[in-house]
Amino acid sequence: MMQYGMYIDQNRCTGCFACVVACKDWHDVPAGPVSWIRIKTIEKGTYPNLFAAFLPTACYHCKTPACVSACPVEAVTKRDEDGIVTVDQDACLGKTECGECLEACSYDAPQFETGDDAKMQKCDFCIDRWAEGKKPVCVMSCPMQALDAGPLDELKKKWGSVRETEGFTYDETLAPSILYKPK
Amino acid sequence: MTEEHADSKDKIVHTVCNSHCGGTCDFNVHVREGKIIRIESVPEEDGRPSMCLRGHAYRQRVYSPDRLLHPLKRTGPRGSGEFARISWDEALDTVAGEMKRIKAAYGNAALLHFCSMCDPHLLNHVLAFHSLLCNFGGYTAPWGYISCEAYAFSEGVTFGKSSKIRYSGHTPEEYLESRLIIMWGWNPATTEMGSNISLSLARAKEKGTRIIAVDPRYTDSAAVFSDKWIPIRPGTDAAVMLAMAYVIIKENLQDHDFIDRYTAGFDKYKDYVLGVEDGVEKTPQWAEAISGVEAATIADLAREYAREKPAILGTSFGPGRTAFGEEYHRMAEALKAITGNLKRENYAPKVKNFGLLPPFPFLPNQVEEGAPPRWNALPSRGPSVNSSARVNVSSLTDAILKGKAGGYPADYKFMWLSNNNYLNQLGNVNKAIEAFNKLEFILVTEQFMTATARYADIILPVCTFLERWDIMPAMDVFSTKRSDFTILNKAIEPLGESKSQLEICQALALKLGITGYPDQSDEELVRSMAEMASEAKKATSEAASKKEDSVSKEPQFRTQSGKIELWSGIAEKMNHPQIPAVPKYIETWESLNDPLAEKYPLQLITPHFKRRAHSQFDNLPWLRELQVQAISINSRDAEARGLKAGDMVRVFNDRGEVLPQGGWYSPDENGIDYGGCANVLTNNVISPGGSFASHTALVQIEKVVE
Repeated sequence: MMQYGMYIDQNRCTGCFACVVACKDWHDVPAGPVSWIRIKTIEKGTYPNLFAAFLPTACYHCKTPACVSACPVEAVTKRDEDGIVTVDQDACLGKTECGECLEACSYDAPQFETGDDAKMQKCDFCIDRWAEGKKPVCVMSCPMQALDAGPLDELKKKWGSVRETEGFTYDETLAPSILYKPK
Repeated sequence: MTEEHADSKDKIVHTVCNSHCGGTCDFNVHVREGKIIRIESVPEEDGRPSMCLRGHAYRQRVYSPDRLLHPLKRTGPRGSGEFARISWDEALDTVAGEMKRIKAAYGNAALLHFCSMCDPHLLNHVLAFHSLLCNFGGYTAPWGYISCEAYAFSEGVTFGKSSKIRYSGHTPEEYLESRLIIMWGWNPATTEMGSNISLSLARAKEKGTRIIAVDPRYTDSAAVFSDKWIPIRPGTDAAVMLAMAYVIIKENLQDHDFIDRYTAGFDKYKDYVLGVEDGVEKTPQWAEAISGVEAATIADLAREYAREKPAILGTSFGPGRTAFGEEYHRMAEALKAITGNLKRENYAPKVKNFGLLPPFPFLPNQVEEGAPPRWNALPSRGPSVNSSARVNVSSLTDAILKGKAGGYPADYKFMWLSNNNYLNQLGNVNKAIEAFNKLEFILVTEQFMTATARYADIILPVCTFLERWDIMPAMDVFSTKRSDFTILNKAIEPLGESKSQLEICQALALKLGITGYPDQSDEELVRSMAEMASEAKKATSEAASKKEDSVSKEPQFRTQSGKIELWSGIAEKMNHPQIPAVPKYIETWESLNDPLAEKYPLQLITPHFKRRAHSQFDNLPWLRELQVQAISINSRDAEARGLKAGDMVRVFNDRGEVLPQGGWYSPDENGIDYGGCANVLTNNVISPGGSFASHTALVQIEKVVE
């Protein structure tokens, strides 16, 4: 099965939020609790010996996604052709009634609006853009060119096989489709 | 460049962002049925300015429910926010009537106009207003860049002209070739997102360039790019640089050849550095006591900068926005020169703009006719900017309050504010309010009900740049390289009754009876300007190909000596104790040695914030949710006050009180600002060379007990 994934050079991320807002604009996600991609800030040390790093965090379209197996109604599925994990909002039971995917995911990828009938939504790896021959909007909006996306095998050849970085632990069971240049 | 999408009815319109951040990022605006549905960056060229978070949120700005869509007249007291909708005709009649009345009663000098200066679009900017007002008999214009006047002054007295490269003094290409980059008060990860500066710094680091950040704050740039962070007290940069010069000269690390060939006045500069002039040796120990930077660190930095060539001393405008901030920039240029790290090529002629001038009728400003130059005029500047009839931006508030009696050129009665949020941004807000209340008439052209707009008598609604045409020239400044002019295409029709700045000027020209002001549409004007520029460019390139390489790339410095002046003849002629002929460290007002520091022991600086460009964009939901505007304070100072992260604090001094949680001035009935506008606390006192000293202020901070 083909598996698409993402590469992130954490040394380059300045925490500028261009990807976050570009994602919201492209996918028309309103301001609020839902953000398909978020920036984590990692801070360490005491003055004057300080350390800070940023880490973009979206859905890792895991090889063995916990959200897919957790979903009681098969609303979350993994596509054969590219390994992208998508959600059928019409089938989704919602956070209040179910919320199993949120429980199952270690990476907070499932996102819900407020309100009892909120259905799960998350990063869909810009399926619509791939169809037009474009990489995801987060990748293409990054002024630091810190992100890349594509078939995971190709990414490994290009960027190496490091799977952990500051602020991210690789879960062997889930096998998230992510590569890093760690800080 | 507007293309129809093959498989849909969407139109993709290309334009260039103009949001006063220094960047000029390309936008691909996706439009469906007359409405913007999304905005995409244009990434195909490597290193091209790339949209920031604010650009990506621009759709929310266009369709913000807060947009002003109709002319308004004030119905309550100034600042109350009480307005009534009126017609364009009534609004323009009122404005024209007031302008004529004030001109007849007090003369044209009583009319102030203030427009921001940074955006490079030509039709809807300062030239449109300037032409209109000059054709009305003239007006009082301010002088001085709020952002970078200290830098401009330093360039003016040291080189007699400006560098092409305004940020850091070096091109991003130079970063990649350098062995050392010192980021001195320079935080491009936050302040220069619309450029390839940060990307180039990352690439330099990847290539092995050592990067050192000197900054009072551990900034995002320090965190991402630097190998070492050197914290420093605000306002003391020049002292540390002086001590670096001391080490370099004492250890004979200077570039003798560069100094001999290209500079003048080294001996006098050296006499000051070594203490021959004033008996004070500017040793690292001397600078440590002033700056808090350890002497050994200063000495190491000096040796590294002098030896690891090519090295970049990357300056920024921020440290220049202090009292005597001119000396920070001058001292940096001196350090660059004595180590031979100064790039003379960056002073070569600028990119030609091929006669791209809007067809406004330009007349001299009659208010400035016959007025002598200011005492601190710079030969690198034009006679109008140098005119003593102008008022420095830092002094505008004081000038309005005191007028002729206070030594200013005129009594001011009318102010037109366009493309800016004066009240929020120009320091000492409470004093500015006093000044605004003294004016007989205030006209504000705006998109939103800003702090400034609330004090207007008439507000005219302006559309965004996505709702009109414009054109920008070829550029090789602000790290933006565009070898040709760029058309800013109109994406959608203006919302509501809003109009472009150009249309407002055109409409006012009719009401004021001004003839010759262009009456064509913005699109027609852009098309004819583009055509003229293309022809001029063709003629220029034909002429150039005939005499190839005849243009010298050797920079011509317009100083008295024709060289880079470490002892400045231009500064000497100003004959002012705080504008020394050689760059010096001058202690700021409101320094930690000021008796005021007993009451207000903390130095306040007001850095830029990612989700705003100045006060712009503060009201957009996509941006508001990203970051909370909060005070950053050293953990030691916080502990001493019993503060922990997330506590609400009050910040105060004699000028006002702020509860920091935002950016827009929003006072309660007692004048305490709950909007978090730091300029309630900053001062607006001019530094002698014109620096806008907003980073020089003492405050106290206390926890708010619920």
